[in-house]
Amino acid sequence: METVTLTIDGRQVTVEKGKTVLQGAIEHGIKVPYYCYHPGLEIDGSCRVCLVKIEKMPKLQTSCSTLVAEGMVVSTEAPDVVEARASVLEFLLINHPLDCPVCDKGGECPLQDFAYSFGPNESRMEFPRRVFDGEGVKADVDFGPTLMLNRNRCILCTRCVRFMKEVDGDAQINIVDRGYGSEIATFQDEGVHSLISGNLMDVCPVGAITTKDYRFKSRPWDNPEAIDTICTFCERGCNTTAWLRAKPEWAKGALLVRTTPRLNPDVNGYWMCDIGRFDYHWIEGDDRLHRPLVKMEAGLQQPADWREATAKAADRITAAGTGSLRFLISAHASLEELFLIGRLGSALGTPEDGVAISWRAREKPQPADTKFKVPPIDAPNVNGARDMGFPVKASSDGRPDISAFRQQVEQGRVKALFVFDPGPPGSIGDVSWVSQARASGKLALLIVQGALITDLARAADIVLPGASSFEKDATYVNYQGRVQAASRALPAPGDAQEDWQIFVNLGLALGITLGYTDSAHVRADVAAAMSSNAAYAGLADLAFARPVTAQHWLQASNPSERWKWDVMFQDLPPVKFAGRPDPSSIPTVIPLTERD
Amino acid sequence: MSFHPLMPYGSEGFQKSERTLMARGEPFAFTAERAAKLEDICSKYPPERRKSAVLAALYLVQEQQQYITASAMRHVAEFLRITPAEVEDVATYYVMFFKAPVGKYVLQVCRTLSCALAGAERVTETLSEKLGIGIGETDPSGMFTLLEFECLGACDRAPVVMVNNEHWHEKARPETCAKLVDDLRQRGLSALSGCHLKVEQ
Amino acid sequence: MEPILTRYIQESNSYTLDFFLKHEGYQGLRKALATQPNDIIEMVKASGLRGRGGAGFPTGMKFQFVDKKTPKPKYIACNADESEPGTFKDHVLMERNPHLLFEGCLIGCWAIGAKMAYIYIRGEFYHVQKVLESELAKAYAQGYAGRNVMGSGWDCDIVIHRGAGAYEAGEETALIESLEGKRAQPRIKPPFPAVQGLYDCPTAVNNVETLCNLPCIMINGAEWFAKLGPEKNGGPKLYCISGHVKKPGVYEASMNTTIKELIFDRAGGIREGHQLKAVIPGGSSVPILLPDQLDIPASFDSVQKAGSMLGSAGMIVMDETTCMVWAAMNLMHFYKHESCGKCTPCREGGDWLWKILARIERGEGQMRDLELLTSISNNIAGKTLCAFGDAEATPPLTTLKHFRGEYEAHIREGRCTVPADWRAKGVAEVAH
Repeated sequence: METVTLTIDGRQVTVEKGKTVLQGAIEHGIKVPYYCYHPGLEIDGSCRVCLVKIEKMPKLQTSCSTLVAEGMVVSTEAPDVVEARASVLEFLLINHPLDCPVCDKGGECPLQDFAYSFGPNESRMEFPRRVFDGEGVKADVDFGPTLMLNRNRCILCTRCVRFMKEVDGDAQINIVDRGYGSEIATFQDEGVHSLISGNLMDVCPVGAITTKDYRFKSRPWDNPEAIDTICTFCERGCNTTAWLRAKPEWAKGALLVRTTPRLNPDVNGYWMCDIGRFDYHWIEGDDRLHRPLVKMEAGLQQPADWREATAKAADRITAAGTGSLRFLISAHASLEELFLIGRLGSALGTPEDGVAISWRAREKPQPADTKFKVPPIDAPNVNGARDMGFPVKASSDGRPDISAFRQQVEQGRVKALFVFDPGPPGSIGDVSWVSQARASGKLALLIVQGALITDLARAADIVLPGASSFEKDATYVNYQGRVQAASRALPAPGDAQEDWQIFVNLGLALGITLGYTDSAHVRADVAAAMSSNAAYAGLADLAFARPVTAQHWLQASNPSERWKWDVMFQDLPPVKFAGRPDPSSIPTVIPLTERD
Repeated sequence: MSFHPLMPYGSEGFQKSERTLMARGEPFAFTAERAAKLEDICSKYPPERRKSAVLAALYLVQEQQQYITASAMRHVAEFLRITPAEVEDVATYYVMFFKAPVGKYVLQVCRTLSCALAGAERVTETLSEKLGIGIGETDPSGMFTLLEFECLGACDRAPVVMVNNEHWHEKARPETCAKLVDDLRQRGLSALSGCHLKVEQ
Repeated sequence: MEPILTRYIQESNSYTLDFFLKHEGYQGLRKALATQPNDIIEMVKASGLRGRGGAGFPTGMKFQFVDKKTPKPKYIACNADESEPGTFKDHVLMERNPHLLFEGCLIGCWAIGAKMAYIYIRGEFYHVQKVLESELAKAYAQGYAGRNVMGSGWDCDIVIHRGAGAYEAGEETALIESLEGKRAQPRIKPPFPAVQGLYDCPTAVNNVETLCNLPCIMINGAEWFAKLGPEKNGGPKLYCISGHVKKPGVYEASMNTTIKELIFDRAGGIREGHQLKAVIPGGSSVPILLPDQLDIPASFDSVQKAGSMLGSAGMIVMDETTCMVWAAMNLMHFYKHESCGKCTPCREGGDWLWKILARIERGEGQMRDLELLTSISNNIAGKTLCAFGDAEATPPLTTLKHFRGEYEAHIREGRCTVPADWRAKGVAEVAH
């Protein structure tokens, strides 16, 4: 890597050649505010708030657009820089409503943060603010199926315009009018229709674009816990953060309040799709299985305890003949789960064609030249199953080809079928033929292990409630062949168990001792079994995030900006504390830092 | 809430902005002649840069139907293979595109310093009184729209009035403005002085 | 000095190809085509020709900076978006001498290795565009443009591109954006257009008058051109004089000529019975000169030394009936209307300044508004992507500098203290 050494505020810093002064400053923890710059978008240079002084240059320069050069001497603290920065913030705030208390961005808003850090103490604006649709939340208007737009709050950084043009590939957002009258809009107010629209909330540096899903639901200081994990809803495996709301156990509502993308340049950059972002409600939804179910003679499913359900399952399997058990496995099964299924299968004598891997594939409607393509396969671990030697057959459109397996079932040649479907709903693909085979009697025994009460689960003789990917530590192999860890953010509901545990207990009931006491043990054995595959190196040591109490309100801040918080603003006062806060240590009034 | 991108928009809790949208207008398509003309204009730019012809396309829309409508912008977008938003972005930026119906004669009075020093304010005032309309309005007969424009680039013949983006009337005098309106009604565009150098010939 | 660029403009058929050919038309191009492009650039450098659009940047340098090694096409983008208030010289040149512009474009293209010149003409000049189009067709028909230019085997096209009403399109990078079919908003520099301009290709953006000077440099040589004016201010210059003078118009002169001569001799002096109050010498974006500052050559360097700029040489002359608060407000209306809205200070600050100026003009201002005006203006100037910010800050700063008393009188007396008879009766209503 070719580097350049320059001086910023008297500090010698070394930065990769080709980077900008702003990027260099951020990397070295030097505070420079910015709005129009976003690391995932092209440089615009329009907000003017990142002005710095560079020796030998006559005017102040925007650090976002100035490349670093050897021997450059930069000041971010010279009096004229301080003044210019304050004046730009004054300009930005003359029309920006001060409705932070009702604004979703409040607490994780770069405008708020920078205005406190760098802005003037008071505005000299005496004329009324420009309002488009009236004051306050009245100005919130629909901005497509997933978003709301607050016209008053926009500061015209055009990040959203550039996101749609550069990343989405369909320039749906434009500016109408010009100069002072400019505003962000979509053609004929038709709204943004995109599979990656949620990212617009992340890129918006103010509360102008908010998601309908998260709107008014929570505030950053009410989300003390954030868990870095991955999204398992398709084969891309975007790196994400799950946000948990603080609430007493008895309070209504879900714990999980949003998922947001986390920077991984190799997998998802700064982005994630709307499916991963918004389709999490089923996890704490009404369709979750809380207890094992066993079908009675009359055909009704009755709740049972684990001992009873597992014993019953083992009895029925044994009665059918252990070697006759077949497995239909969703490609949402993690490496650990696949490994245990493999162990069970070989102990029971399941033939090689006795296991089928299934998933859903659907082409996602996206612009032809999008830079963020959402893959058609809605499963995180097709590659993992293939790597581990399971029969993964896919047709050219990405759909699973399990016709031979299905034929066996439909022709009544399968006596007992075990289906593993940990959700999301429908992600295992079409399994209606299984329910039909069970209903017609061609299939005598159906055992379903999964997270949701689906049609399939309703048809089952025994239902074993498992965990969703948010409720267990598990590993998956994405479409690039990259092994990634999804961390446990929540406990599984009711009596539901983590799936590795269910397999181990079912094995015990069948007289097979798998001998694991936690998922890390399973993972270690997977790693050993896959040691010949370089992609699995390090699997045993993969780190799983634990819910981390945000010690610092900025740490739990706007996700696309969060990388920045890790290096900047470390000196701002914390307002949340890890663990049990000492009441006396919580300042009643948060002191604002004085600008030096 | 459904998360799918194709889920319907604006069903429940739909909150519309108070922004005045451009009228949807009648279904729009360029006449064959204009389509051919625009295609010819596009050929003057690199093939992958058809967007360069967007201003020309919007002028052709105005030639065909006086003002820009949403249907027309959509047609232009399809013609140039860009998005309607990109067309609106441009159409609303430039002041010579009319975003609402205008009168037969759009009187565009220059208001900038040189013209103002020569009495442009009074020209506007007189026209406004004569027509009984304010700036930006169209008279009830639908004949005249009165607009203020910034420097038209003929400051030696101030004040200048441009009509319908194309025709010029120079050295407009407050005392003769009323007559200009009557003349336009009777004689049409020949009532205008035209551009100065032609007059001098 | 005998007029060179505008010598024949009073002739009724001066714009025709026949007339042009009879008066040395396309002879500069003929010479250029027989000269190595690099030598032409050297010649233009030696002539000292400076851009006539406003900045006065040496044209030869601009041509030299064009990246000629790249395999990409190169372009000339002719800036015919003449919209600086008080400026109307390109208007005359194009209408009366269109072939001179074509010839200049072609010489420029030859010099930088371009095969295409786009003439970006402001939308309001449609009557001029029609002249350009019909004459360009004739030039094509007779082999002066298009395929095999003048039998040289070299092809070069000229395309006329109509703008649609945006002052900002006159800024070179905004002009390029507009040519690309986008909003006329400036781009970050660097990269400069000479390296990455139109369609990301090397582009020279030149003003109409600048390009019109190339033929006479080719014909008469660099030395002749340089000697027409003071050092580094060579060549003929067109001056646009408007406002309260007896004979407003475009006057061609050497840059040795003083502003005083231009206003009082060429333009006939101040209208009868009135006295000169102030002159804006280079288009609305430059600071005011007072009557006692006018005895200086109207050259780029002299005017700059006097604290203003020659800019586009659009001289707006104001007599004693002009309220300077009103003048600043009038121009501020222009700037807030024409601000493209890209940079925060210009977008937000322009409207704010205008509101304050209007308040003072109405007689509702306060003394502290004057400090506020200064502060806001200084916060805009130099803080934006393009020079528009500096231009926008100029009217309040320059009027406050020279006519602070007038501002104070407005505030003290609670009314406009210089109400001219040529202003609207309901001044306030029309101004808002």
